[in-house]
Amino acid sequence: MNANSAQHTEGSIAELQYQIAMYEDASAYKSLFFILFPSLQNFAFSIVKSRVLAEEIASDLMLEVWERRKKLMQIEHLKLYLLVSAKNAAVHQLKQENKQARFSIEDLQVEFVSEYSNPDQTAELHELENSIAAAVKALPPSCQLIYKLAKEERLRYKEIAQLLDLSVKTIDNQLAIALKKIATAIQSGRSEKNIR
Amino acid sequence: MNNDRIWILQARKLSGEASATELKELDHLLLLSPEAQPIITEVSIHWKELPAVDADFMEATWLAHASRMQQKGHPIQTDEPELNTDNYPLEGSVISHKFPLKKIGFVLFLAAAIISVVLLLLPTQQKPIAASALAQTEVITPKGSRTKIQLPDGSDVWLNAGTQLKYNKDFENGNREVYLSGEAFFDVVRNPAKPFVIHTSSMDVKVLGTQFNVKAYEEDLTTETSLIKGSVAVYLNVAPEKEYLLKPNQKLILNNNALANQQLMADKQPLSKMDLSPVVSIQALTYAEASETDVESSWTKNILSFEDELFPDVARKMERWYNVEIQFRNKKWEQQYLSGSFEKENLTQALKALQYSTGFKYKISGKTILIY
Repeated sequence: MNANSAQHTEGSIAELQYQIAMYEDASAYKSLFFILFPSLQNFAFSIVKSRVLAEEIASDLMLEVWERRKKLMQIEHLKLYLLVSAKNAAVHQLKQENKQARFSIEDLQVEFVSEYSNPDQTAELHELENSIAAAVKALPPSCQLIYKLAKEERLRYKEIAQLLDLSVKTIDNQLAIALKKIATAIQSGRSEKNIR
Repeated sequence: MNNDRIWILQARKLSGEASATELKELDHLLLLSPEAQPIITEVSIHWKELPAVDADFMEATWLAHASRMQQKGHPIQTDEPELNTDNYPLEGSVISHKFPLKKIGFVLFLAAAIISVVLLLLPTQQKPIAASALAQTEVITPKGSRTKIQLPDGSDVWLNAGTQLKYNKDFENGNREVYLSGEAFFDVVRNPAKPFVIHTSSMDVKVLGTQFNVKAYEEDLTTETSLIKGSVAVYLNVAPEKEYLLKPNQKLILNNNALANQQLMADKQPLSKMDLSPVVSIQALTYAEASETDVESSWTKNILSFEDELFPDVARKMERWYNVEIQFRNKKWEQQYLSGSFEKENLTQALKALQYSTGFKYKISGKTILIY
């Protein structure tokens, strides 16, 4: 999978949306589920920190997509819309658990390796990828999340800013910091190899 | 040379945020510091790599979602035939064909009728522990650990993971009674004058001196007493006047679920034919192939053992043994029978071995294991 296929995804979401809205196409709905569900669950998880609750939130949202399929075309950017809904549901969940709880951007838990990624592949990450993974893990949670949303969800700065209640300037800075740290990890990984 | 500026621009470029002017600026900066070029290239390659998706796990998640949609009144049918197995009836029948319930032949249908009559009185309460200030000793083993203790009378007790054993202060004065929740193996010192009694929430076991295992976890479907040596008498709480005597190498199995079901039925209507599942049965102890140790008490030798047991039952044993939580993501595996024996294996090794013989997949996230 490369950047092109991810850009395809944007287009294919709109395409699937259309199929579902116009023809109640269940197969299209399943394809949409495959594209969106892991993103929604992983994002909800970073806030509620429970796999079970996050899955429930994501499942409820996907259920709503089907329930409201006739009006689906009214949503312009479905992925962002659902991510915002996932955040609201997750924050609501936190408040129910603890009435005083307020959502804080520094209180996230981001998983680098998603449950949905292929274990065979992740088990055989080679050294370089391991050091990159470690570098990402060492970033502050909010920086990790921004990096993931930009890289894996292909969201624009404006969209990430909206989703996380941050300024575009912050996204700009945080992403540069993340890249720089990853570059350092790659370089130190390589120089270690040279020493050997 | 402004290194930070390079990263700001590079991040914008990768995210598709960079304007034409900014792209030019980036090229210019990189010309000025050519040593940065290789690392910029590598970061860009990494950026474009996306994790490959585990298709099987995705499919299992979809099935869970589809059955949730059905529950909530929005059934969804895709054209693919495999999705018609929402509740897995097809696979279930295949499985039962492959793995016949071998043990039915052993089962003795005992006393079901008598018990169902008494069921209206079914007590669920624990044995009342005298509220009068009888000091109690309590031994607890957390999940993931086992221990061995010696009681004041010299009897040895092995406690399996997730077990609680209590006895009153007057145990020392010859009142040999203990209260068990969980699983324990007893090697009781013989004393005909002072019988040794084990109370569980569903049965009492009375002995003079012998070796036996009692498995009485609240979350399990059955309560079991397995006799290795000597003789024991078992009294069910639902029918305490009846005595079940066990011989060595026999075990008594009380099906708690059948009790609960029958009680439910008894409340509403006369018992129907559906209710013929055995409430109590006496079976031979299980020996794994080419093994001298019975499966029932093998845990006292630090062996986690099961022979032809349903995966969910095995999962409960493993949860206690390894202190984890196991969830099923594909109902197919809940119909699977497993045999196995683990001694030094850690959780991953045990899962891998079982996976090898059956073909399920699993994921470990923290203390939770998903089977799919």
